Amino acid sequence: MELNDANLQTLTEYLRKTLSPDPAVRRPAEKFLESVEGTQNYPILLLTVLEKSQEDVIRVCSAVTFKNYIKRNWRIVEDEPNKISDPDRTAIKANIVNLMLTSPEQIQKQLSDAISIIGREDFPQKWPDLLTEMVNRFQSGDFHIINGILRTAHSLFKRYRHEFKSNELWSEIKLVLDTFAQPLTELFKATIDLCQTHATDINALKVLFSSLTLISKLFYSLNFQDLPEFFEDNMETWMTNFHNLLTLDNKLLQTDDEEEAGLLELLKSQICDNAALYAQKYDEEFQPYLPRFVTAIWNLLVTTGQEVKYDLLVSNAIQFLASVCERPHYKHLFEDQNVLTSICEKVIVPNMEFRSADEEAFEDNSEEYIIRDLEGSDIDTRRRAACDLVRGLCKFFEGPVTGIFSGYVNSMLAEYAKNPGVNWKHKDAAIYLVTSLASKAQTQKHGITQANELVNLSEFFVNHILIDLKSPNVNEFPVLKADAIKYVMTFRSQLPKEQLLEAVPLLVSHLQAESIVQHTYAAHALERLFTMRGANNSTLITPTEMAPFTEQLLNHLFKALAIPGSSENEYIMKAIMRSFSLLQDAIVPYIPTLIGQLTHKLLLVSKNPSKPHFNHYLFESLCLSIRVTCKANPDTVSSFEEALFPVFTEILQNDVQEFVPYVFQVMSLLLEIHSNSIPSSYMALFPYLLQPILWERTGNIPPLVRLLQAYLEKGAATIASTAADKIPGLLGVFQKLIASKANDHQGFYLLNSIVEHMPPDSITQYRKQIFILLFQRLQSSKTTKYVKSFLVFINLYSVKYGAIALQEIFDSIQPKMFGMVVEKIVIPEVQKVSGQVEKKICAVGITKILTECPAMMDTEYTKLWAPLLQALIGLFELPEDDSIPDDEHFIDIEDTPGYQTAFSQLAFAGKKEHDPIGDAVNNPKILLAQSLHKLSTACPGRVPSMLSTSLPAEALQYLQGYLQAATVQLV
Amino acid sequence: MPAENMSDKRMSKFKNKGKEPTKMRDRRIAECVELRKAQRVESILKRRNISSLGDEEPLSPEFNTDNEQVISATIQEIVASVNGDCPEMQRQGCQAARKLLSRERNPPLKEIVEAGLLTRFVEFLGRNDDPTLQFEAAWSLTNVASGTSWHTQQVVEHGAVPAFIALLASPMLNISEQAVWALGNIAGDGPSYRDALIECGVIPALLARLTPDAPVGYLRNLTWTLSNLCRNKNPFPRFSAVQQMLPSIIQLLHHSDKSVLSDACWAVSYLTDGPNERIDVVIKTGILPRLVELLGFEELSVVTPALRSIGNIVSGSDLQTQAAIDAGVLSALPQLMRHPKSSVQKEAAWAVSNIAAGPCQQIQQLITCGLLAPLVDLLRNGDFKTQREAVWAVTNYTSGGTVDQVVHLVKCGALEAILNLLQVKDTKTVLVILDAINNIFLAAEKLGEVDKLCLLVEEVGGLDRIEFLQNHENNTVYRAAQALIEKYFSEDGEDQCLTTEATDTNFVFGASEVQKRFDF
Repeated sequence: MELNDANLQTLTEYLRKTLSPDPAVRRPAEKFLESVEGTQNYPILLLTVLEKSQEDVIRVCSAVTFKNYIKRNWRIVEDEPNKISDPDRTAIKANIVNLMLTSPEQIQKQLSDAISIIGREDFPQKWPDLLTEMVNRFQSGDFHIINGILRTAHSLFKRYRHEFKSNELWSEIKLVLDTFAQPLTELFKATIDLCQTHATDINALKVLFSSLTLISKLFYSLNFQDLPEFFEDNMETWMTNFHNLLTLDNKLLQTDDEEEAGLLELLKSQICDNAALYAQKYDEEFQPYLPRFVTAIWNLLVTTGQEVKYDLLVSNAIQFLASVCERPHYKHLFEDQNVLTSICEKVIVPNMEFRSADEEAFEDNSEEYIIRDLEGSDIDTRRRAACDLVRGLCKFFEGPVTGIFSGYVNSMLAEYAKNPGVNWKHKDAAIYLVTSLASKAQTQKHGITQANELVNLSEFFVNHILIDLKSPNVNEFPVLKADAIKYVMTFRSQLPKEQLLEAVPLLVSHLQAESIVQHTYAAHALERLFTMRGANNSTLITPTEMAPFTEQLLNHLFKALAIPGSSENEYIMKAIMRSFSLLQDAIVPYIPTLIGQLTHKLLLVSKNPSKPHFNHYLFESLCLSIRVTCKANPDTVSSFEEALFPVFTEILQNDVQEFVPYVFQVMSLLLEIHSNSIPSSYMALFPYLLQPILWERTGNIPPLVRLLQAYLEKGAATIASTAADKIPGLLGVFQKLIASKANDHQGFYLLNSIVEHMPPDSITQYRKQIFILLFQRLQSSKTTKYVKSFLVFINLYSVKYGAIALQEIFDSIQPKMFGMVVEKIVIPEVQKVSGQVEKKICAVGITKILTECPAMMDTEYTKLWAPLLQALIGLFELPEDDSIPDDEHFIDIEDTPGYQTAFSQLAFAGKKEHDPIGDAVNNPKILLAQSLHKLSTACPGRVPSMLSTSLPAEALQYLQGYLQAATVQLV
Repeated sequence: MPAENMSDKRMSKFKNKGKEPTKMRDRRIAECVELRKAQRVESILKRRNISSLGDEEPLSPEFNTDNEQVISATIQEIVASVNGDCPEMQRQGCQAARKLLSRERNPPLKEIVEAGLLTRFVEFLGRNDDPTLQFEAAWSLTNVASGTSWHTQQVVEHGAVPAFIALLASPMLNISEQAVWALGNIAGDGPSYRDALIECGVIPALLARLTPDAPVGYLRNLTWTLSNLCRNKNPFPRFSAVQQMLPSIIQLLHHSDKSVLSDACWAVSYLTDGPNERIDVVIKTGILPRLVELLGFEELSVVTPALRSIGNIVSGSDLQTQAAIDAGVLSALPQLMRHPKSSVQKEAAWAVSNIAAGPCQQIQQLITCGLLAPLVDLLRNGDFKTQREAVWAVTNYTSGGTVDQVVHLVKCGALEAILNLLQVKDTKTVLVILDAINNIFLAAEKLGEVDKLCLLVEEVGGLDRIEFLQNHENNTVYRAAQALIEKYFSEDGEDQCLTTEATDTNFVFGASEVQKRFDF
């Protein structure tokens, strides 16, 4: 591509077309440019258009196109062709800096970005003169140019702030320091001098202050990895000037904008960062300067206003103080009572105040307000910084700080008392102050777990919190009400139970408040209180204690869902779920009404599921309604089915992916309640459940397996008689599942149910295939999880079909197979089996193999008899796994495994553990003793001799114990 | 990625940590590119003799000025006197040169060299007939050699080395001492001159002067010069030379003078700053108990090199570390970790980090000897460099310690302390901390107490900090933080193997493959 007018003209036209709003014009132009960008001279043509075009839009368009071109093509990837020719590369590097500096700002920015992309690849080795070229421009005296250089330098050097130390990196920094540090320092001094000269010229000052901010950013990057010798030697110059700049004010530079930070704020904020860097990393060298900075930053805080534009500066400044005051050797800077008082009064208290911006968020953007305030996503707010400072100061001065704040809290409360209507924000600040002072450790689950002992939380509750909770007008001072509710929630673990009980009905009444924040907090507080544990691991607040308020609680919770803005409020729905779970039987009378409301809600949200938490708790609440009601009267299950199936059908038909796994779980719960047979409505759905497409979604697998298990438990006979043609499909699901390492255990759940419940004849023809598949998987990828499930299954098979059947089917697949499995899998691995039921199945299954399988006595398998018995005794005598207590009520939904993945497990659809052996065997040890006794009487003398020759003494001793307990003797 | 390499590199500095046993370690970071000023605590490489003698006549006013003209005039006079034949003039000229070279500020080293005086000065070293001249010439050359490498090179290339070695034997103590000093400066220049001196037999000549009646001042210089002969790597001084010097250095380590002790300790620190074979040579002398004793001294100038030596030794093999432990180093470390100087705290933490990289028996000894409390203190209150070493100690400890040991460390408050450090402005340290957190979680997994640990991490504000790191500019850090969050604070995914045929309505049941023989 020649560098000539015709080509320039063509390129200009294509660039113009890329700006067209009409895709039919734009797309082909973009395609064309992409197709020619590999041609030599293309970038040079772009730069020429950028330089020479008379039209600004074309110039900018060319700059953007150039930058994107560089971004896509500059990096040379190993084993891939070089996408830009070497002469083009050289020409670009030779011209770009100059071009950038002489371009208007909009273009300068694009070119500066391009330079840093090139620099990242080529600097310093392949672009050795870049730095000197840049430094030389410092002499130009033209701050438009200088700022261009500084901006470019910043984009080149800022990676020093986050990359790992390496010789390569440090060599580069050293090189930069050698050429750049001295001129930068000179520029810094000269710029400051110019600020004096032009102190009254606002336009000049603006440019100069941008330079100073950029210089300060460069300082941060260059000093980040380690303290360079040059900057150590010139610390005086830099720090003195930084300090002066921090204390500087210039009326001209103050902006009217309330939101956007001005130049002065940006500069000071960066200087705070620089000081914090030195204080943290180069403490020893920085020590002489530090007290000055502490004073300056604190004065800065005292004189800075409440506007949002100062937020970054203030939070940086406070964080600086917070990090310094925790360090033992700076303790003295703060320990004077006057200093502490002044920091508390002038820095902490003002920054805890509720500002108009907070007020707006409280009213108009409650969702974000709640997330920030409740869930702590407030990392860089003033309040958070002020809290951190309180915590920092408490490290050494907890007593004095608490004392000082108590004074403030009292005076602010007194102010409030004088005129609540006007001074309510004082009380808000007082509560915030108490909270930040008292909180030493906190989690979402338990609220405050460690409190400052110097703060009397209970007294404060009685004197200042209760009064707002009790206020007859729930809609007055919503912020204070929200504060009071939050106080109860935050300190729930610290307050005595009487006070919590006193608060409960008050919280219930606040559910009616119009303010979203307020009723949300009320719901959340109730929900948290209901999860607190009392004595004996039961709930702290009992259903009996709740009895007087039950109706009102349920009533208000459901009404709150009707308040505008809260129709899908997850906190309210969670509170509903938790209330159901707490109240249990007490909700039964209300369910007929409530189930209609819940179903209606479900229908609405299923049109467009958008709040996953809300939806989850909605399903949990449905499950609880069913469980609690049907526990009292199982016959009511059909009324639930009537209410729910129409909605469920719609969800399944429309394939509402988010809800399908939930529907399967609720259906399982319902089906499991049926006592004898399976209703035909379920059977109609059976073929649908076997469709591969459903199983492709991992989130469906666990609930579908569970549902199929319920089908097998209730309807195995029906399936065998009316849907035998579906059995291969059912086994196909099993096969699909065991092929996956992630889902194999689900496959075994299904297989176990099939073996346990299906009439034996209906599966006879498939048995051998099943085992072959299991062996194939065992051979190809054996995992502990798989082996455990496998062992449980073969022993269940032995229990169900007998040990002989097991041995015969193994040996029919391959000679000696049974012995190999016993030797290589059962004996060495059986101790890994966990779970009481699983262990029991294995114990009974192995007992049968030992005592009811002639091959074990009379073939070469005999040598395995004693080792297998020994393994069984080991299984008995291993310390029992602690089973998880049955207290689902306390489960935090976020903690349940599976949540947040596609499978959303419902805690309250929970399945009772199923024991396929049940009461038939109460004590497997006794069964073993009795079975051995039976065996020994069948072939007298053999058992004792095998025991005495092959069983270790310790195992023998245990066995004697079992025999004694069973009162049998071996013969 | 260079980032990961660096982490590995530091990792490989710890024994037992993912490195080939044959690979030689470079122990100190000092070999990397440095941005900082040279360490102030290190002993000096070269020294100029600026001490004024008692008989010093007051310097004439023009001698005190920095005026270049005066200097060049003086140098011309010196050249004239020195090149002349009159012994008295030679002495005077030489003395004038020595005085110029001994000025506190801006001694004209280069000018003296360029005036061509060195040939004559070296020649004067051989003038046994004129001890004063010998002395003045030796002093002048000492000071020239104290300059930059270029200056030292000039002195050596004028043939001063054999002359100085010969002078060591001078019956005049002050002349011999000056020769010791000059040789020290030459040895301090670097490995090549050091080895050149050793080739010329400097060691036996020096050791011959190490007698019980040698005055303390003389011994100080001698010890310093010996230490410079032990100094520098790439290459190290050859083994035979080390073997020659070691007995005398050990002897000096028992001297009562602090300055002698200090340089003798520095010598040991240089000798131990190398591969395990080098460390072994030192350990075999049985010096460890004395080194440990020196750790308890008050003088920083003794403690610093003694601690450096111990630090080097415990970065050696497990056996070498055990030897240091058996010598009692663990009872000396706690007070050094609480030393008022942060540089000592840092070195002590470094030593602990290396011991923590050992087998769990040695970790147990850290616990038994009460090192965890001061370690946690350093994590909380140390200066940045100390905190960084302490963090490494925690990470090493948690990756090699038993579950019980890790639990113990957490109970001592280390977890909270490192979580607080997640906000440090040093990317590598942040990554190392994330590593430690991960190790602690692995221990919790074994105990089935992940939930408890999650709560603890959240309680002390650690979860917020880890979450915040998910926005970190550095990819490795961001990924490590994300991995922790995903693994312990939320849920994880799954994977697949074999496949099953499917139609629209069903999966097809049945083993598809040809039968293979099963063998488990």
